[in-house]
Amino acid sequence: MTDTAREEILGRINEALGRRGGGEYVSSTSGAVPSAPTERGAASAEVEHAHAGAPAAGGGVVGQSADYARTGTHSGEELIELLVDRLVDYKANVHRVTGDPAKTIADLLEAGSKIVVPRGLDESWLQAFTGDISVDAPGEELSIPELDSQAAVVTASAVAIAQTGTIVLDGSPECGRRAITLVPDHHICVVRVADVVDIVPEGIARLEATAALTFISGPSATSDIELERVEGVHGPRTLDVIILDS
Amino acid sequence: MTFLGMPLMRSKHAHTDLPGGQGNIVETEPFPEVSHQHLSNQQLRTNIGHATSSIRDKRAGVVAELDDWEELREAGSRAKNQVMANLPEYLVEFEENFTAAGGTIHWARDADEANAIVTELVEANAPVLANGRREVIKVKSMATQEIGLNEHLETQGIDAFETDLAELIVQLGEDKPSHILVPAIHRNRDEIRDIFMDKMPDAGKLTNDPAVLAEAARRHLRHKFLTTKVAVSGANFGIADTGTLGVVESEGNGRMCLTLPETLITVMGIEKLLPSFDDLGAFLQLLPRSSTGERMNPYTSFWTGRTEGDGPQNVHLVLLDNGRTRALADEHGRTALNCIRCSACMNVCPVYERTGGHAYGSTYPGPIGAILSPLLTGVEDEANGSLPYASSLCGACYDVCPVKINIPEILVHLRSEDVKANHSPVSTQLDTALTGASWMMGDGKRMAAAEKGLPFAHKATRGGQINALPGIARAWTSSRDIPGLPEKSFHQLWAESEGQAESEGRTDHDGETENGGDEK
Repeated sequence: MTDTAREEILGRINEALGRRGGGEYVSSTSGAVPSAPTERGAASAEVEHAHAGAPAAGGGVVGQSADYARTGTHSGEELIELLVDRLVDYKANVHRVTGDPAKTIADLLEAGSKIVVPRGLDESWLQAFTGDISVDAPGEELSIPELDSQAAVVTASAVAIAQTGTIVLDGSPECGRRAITLVPDHHICVVRVADVVDIVPEGIARLEATAALTFISGPSATSDIELERVEGVHGPRTLDVIILDS
Repeated sequence: MTFLGMPLMRSKHAHTDLPGGQGNIVETEPFPEVSHQHLSNQQLRTNIGHATSSIRDKRAGVVAELDDWEELREAGSRAKNQVMANLPEYLVEFEENFTAAGGTIHWARDADEANAIVTELVEANAPVLANGRREVIKVKSMATQEIGLNEHLETQGIDAFETDLAELIVQLGEDKPSHILVPAIHRNRDEIRDIFMDKMPDAGKLTNDPAVLAEAARRHLRHKFLTTKVAVSGANFGIADTGTLGVVESEGNGRMCLTLPETLITVMGIEKLLPSFDDLGAFLQLLPRSSTGERMNPYTSFWTGRTEGDGPQNVHLVLLDNGRTRALADEHGRTALNCIRCSACMNVCPVYERTGGHAYGSTYPGPIGAILSPLLTGVEDEANGSLPYASSLCGACYDVCPVKINIPEILVHLRSEDVKANHSPVSTQLDTALTGASWMMGDGKRMAAAEKGLPFAHKATRGGQINALPGIARAWTSSRDIPGLPEKSFHQLWAESEGQAESEGRTDHDGETENGGDEK
């Protein structure tokens, strides 16, 4: 049934686009670029050309012919101040640390409490904390009820986008799998200064698309009641961001 | 540039034999009738007016922060046009990448087929509970709303729990969504508190404080998130060159559904693709700023098929047509498929602000709904014939659209389709009146003769407003007043003032030119 549906829908699209025969579609091999003739669609010739050139330039279709900003204008201390401003605006708590974050992390946690960390987290970051540390690792994952009993989670991050106050986790060993930063109610996230970029396109360019990605901008929130923003719904209600300068 | 009211030149008629969509995309009653009922609901108008005005201001603020907003819109528009022009290739490319990453793709020609596929997957993966039924948790999804998935699942012994706060309010209130982003926009905090206290057995006593209400929703859904085996989601984006899906959300209910269950079933319209992951550089700026008026929404998740050891290991995607190919066949309307469901057009629409979303009948209300619904079903069967008229053509929707869909132009186009398809070619009173007017206005002498009647008409109406006319004009004057008729026409006034000016030896317009010449 599904195969028939597939052929039929692709055939309908070809018919809708006014292509010859109405039943043909050009199969793309190895992620190939669309190359079928499209007589309609005002900008198709131009954009197809752009798409063909895209991989070499490392940009998408859009990038080749549009002139929106690809890089921001902030750098150095100005860039970090922008990130701090945006994080605070969305109700994250921000802490700036140079060198060793262990004391800051311990201060943010309740002594003796239970926390979870991903396998790849720098162990030295936890040396000042006195409590119960569970390490979540492949093959030794905490169950959902176990995660639910943790007071907090401590992770690193892949990229931070200053302009929007966004932190990206990419499932790497020091970010962990997605569930560990979701179920505990308190997330302490370390952002290295070297991983801070200015605007969204710069952040996207640094990411591996096929990793399981989570973009976090402040603690969970809702605007569903009279469009009034309320922080703290289903995700962690407290987000502490440690900006770490080596 | 919008050419409002100008008929579009067409190479061929937009008629197509492709089947229209089914489900919740058809107006239940003609818009003019149902909107009258909603207009008399003061509470509804107050709630919606308050909400839309506050989100309009937020959007305007964050859009103004970006110097390259127009370039971003242009890029968004171009990327989506690119997808539509090459849709078969992008779908196949997406399918290959998603499948290679361990996901399974299903194709659904219409709502019934999509509902059947999801039902089968739930039956295979969700256990039967003590009450004899199965359960799924859901992330807010327009596509599943469109196909009426929850209602279908209920008949199949499956309870679908909406987890978005607004969807929860709608579901518990046994109500319908009225806005695509904030489905409970028509409810104020007092009404929401009453619904929660009435329908959540464990809620206890609540105040109307939004923070208290959000906390109640957290407690109510927590156990479901941690224990349910199957989740159903929609998707904001499908990335062709990587096979990646994305969901943009705020509350973390999306992350819960996308991460904790063993099986994830996503339903996505075939038009949701973007060519490349890099396109997100534009779309992740366009969407949050246009929808919630935030620089970025709190959470966005991306997944590519199955990720080993992280999240659901049984990952499915249902690619839905349900009238989209029919919309694509209309070359003047197809850009409606570029919509990224931000809802900015609703928030600026003077018609939506007064009638609310329920008046449109369809899952897709507001300006975009007024074009998308009839494009998905076709105007020919008269099902959605009145929706293209639910607009004053002011153009505000086009100005805010992050992918530059020219909604007013498509509205005018669909009106002409409706007239061709649904209205009798037999001459009507209006046709007769217009033919007469054309005869009269086509000749200066006839026009001048008609204008001689003005002083008499002015006297007959005592110079006042005209509030009611007979015949076909009665409907028109039911909601409009015609200004009082003047004593003299423009022609007559012009002739008089020209004569006067000439007798003074100069004319105003000539005088200006001469002065300008002197100074140069």
